[in-house]
Amino acid sequence: MSAVMTPAMRSFESQWQGRRADALSPWRESAMQRFLALGVPTVHDDSWRYTNMRVLQAQSFRDAGANDSALSAPGDASWLTDQGRIPSILIVNGHPRLSAVAAQIDGFEIRSLRELVATEPSRLSRYLEATSDADQRRWELLNTALFADGLHIEIKRPIDTPLCLVHLTGGAGEGNAAYPRVIISAAPGSRATIIEHHLNAGTDATLCNSFTQAELGAGAQLEHYRVFTGHEDATQFDSLDVVQDRDSSCRQFTIALGGSVLRTTLQSRLGEAGAALDSYSLLVGHGERHVDSVVIATHGAPATRSRQTARSVASGSSRTIFNSKVIVSAGASKSDSQQSCRGILLSPTAEIDSRPQLEIHTDEVKCAHGATTGRLDPEMYFYLLSRGLDRDTAQSLLIFAFVADVLTRISLPAARAAIETALIAQLPNAELLRAFR
Amino acid sequence: MLKITNLHVSVAGKQILNGVNLSVNAGEVHAIMGPNGSGKSTLAQVLAGREDYQVTSGAVIFEGRDLLAMPAEERARAGFFLGFQYPVEIPGVNNVYLLKAALNAKRKSAGLPEVDAYEFLSLIKEKMKFMHMSESFLTRGVNEGFSGGEKKRNEVLQMLVLEPKLAILDETDSGLDIDALKIVSEGVNSLRGPQRATILVTHYQRLLDYIAPDQVHVLGGGRILKSGDKSLALELEKRGYDWLVESAVA
Repeated sequence: MSAVMTPAMRSFESQWQGRRADALSPWRESAMQRFLALGVPTVHDDSWRYTNMRVLQAQSFRDAGANDSALSAPGDASWLTDQGRIPSILIVNGHPRLSAVAAQIDGFEIRSLRELVATEPSRLSRYLEATSDADQRRWELLNTALFADGLHIEIKRPIDTPLCLVHLTGGAGEGNAAYPRVIISAAPGSRATIIEHHLNAGTDATLCNSFTQAELGAGAQLEHYRVFTGHEDATQFDSLDVVQDRDSSCRQFTIALGGSVLRTTLQSRLGEAGAALDSYSLLVGHGERHVDSVVIATHGAPATRSRQTARSVASGSSRTIFNSKVIVSAGASKSDSQQSCRGILLSPTAEIDSRPQLEIHTDEVKCAHGATTGRLDPEMYFYLLSRGLDRDTAQSLLIFAFVADVLTRISLPAARAAIETALIAQLPNAELLRAFR
Repeated sequence: MLKITNLHVSVAGKQILNGVNLSVNAGEVHAIMGPNGSGKSTLAQVLAGREDYQVTSGAVIFEGRDLLAMPAEERARAGFFLGFQYPVEIPGVNNVYLLKAALNAKRKSAGLPEVDAYEFLSLIKEKMKFMHMSESFLTRGVNEGFSGGEKKRNEVLQMLVLEPKLAILDETDSGLDIDALKIVSEGVNSLRGPQRATILVTHYQRLLDYIAPDQVHVLGGGRILKSGDKSLALELEKRGYDWLVESAVA
């Protein structure tokens, strides 16, 4: 069986044919064949029911280069680096430009995937194995087949300095496609903060199909941010897979502030007792943006804990979707999970979908979920008006207060301030809100 | 200052106020008492401009203006203040920001320049000290995690900063211990003056030991059943409300 060969599918196949063989070719070949057989997901695939690929299917994509002249971006392309105080690595269309600075952060061992493929491919092959749910993970298959380079980051011990990966996608002309791949391996007892900032060069249509895998050893702590600020013609499919060992903890922030079509996936496997996931999603629909965010926490061991907090704000004719799921496997008793997703619609043509799901295969678990979508709280609104605030200010303050549930959890002050600034620019009456900071 | 004439109000289709008449002059303190469900809070909320409460007939004149024609925010800027019975928590909106925005909104409508940030902070610190409030208040969200008593103190603090011409305090005394009641009363008394007026909505005579009212009114069945001086409150304390409510029905 093979999928319908649309212009997009033909262009992916042609990119594949342009690839040179490397030590990982057997894994890549198998991923590509599977992708070609299955094709791009459609709304009939349950997890893709909210995101239609019709427009994408009619487009054609080509490999974005690593050294396009349009990409002579400065090292501080990201506003998340606290004006360069946070060490950063620029990754252009999936190709890291490993700077001396990043290599010198004590406790990290950072190597390019291209180098590892050539020298120690056996360290990488297991990350490329097809997972049992591979048929539902088509873009991850395509990334495995097509990533040209990427980063392997080892966290060896507790590290206080955060690291920022600046993913820049684009180039001259339409249809540039990039496949950034990042592998994070946190040693037992280690701790680090990693920020991934996805943005675009130029203004032409692009596709970024990014995939990050993180493995947390026993007791390891990872704070991970992914911030999306792509332009209005950018399509991005981003996946983050986290595998968590005993007593490890992952705090994950997904901040959607850009792009035309943005799909983010977070899958965490809480594989050993005591593992904990805290995920925070801030989904901002603006203009015609489409944001589809999936979070799946799989409790695979007893006494594991997950928290999913999502706040959506949708204006214009945008649409945001928070599709979350908690799976409690057989034997994972005393699992504890909470899902909280709330949304605010700021225009009659915007749409917010929330879909919290539970799949429980054992007894003695604590799983709570709640979802609300609506307008601003009338009691709060009246309180502010009764103090003399004008209606625009009162509304803007309440919208800002609504997303504070996520913003206040960000532990890096500079990152929080930068994210707030970018967020405010997309809220109604931005100038009023700026006056409050 | 305030003249309420034959005010009828319904909430969600149910008639709550059935012809309230009340006049409050500058310099006066009035107490409105009455049993649960008599319409005290409805009166307070409707005067503050709650839009989901329907005025079916009657008039309210505040400082020569038609109060009912003014939106809530304009009433506040014109010098009307409601101390809420249940102040709402607004996590994410800082207490100080709210106070500053409220004060500036009022100053702007009076044609005054915005308050200077330094001046404002020293003003608010002075008032907080007066209200025995801890400095941690400055960094917290509006009423966020406040105890019942802290919320009430915060209402009075806002009143002190905004210096309204007419304040209506809706059961600001309920849920307060004796010490807090004294502090809140001192706050209210500090604003008394020939240019201002206060309406206290309360269940208990106790508050009136600290804030002496010029007039006491009993609200029952959506209208004022009886008005008198401070001695009426003492009589209510002894006899309860039933005798008034019954005689009104008869």
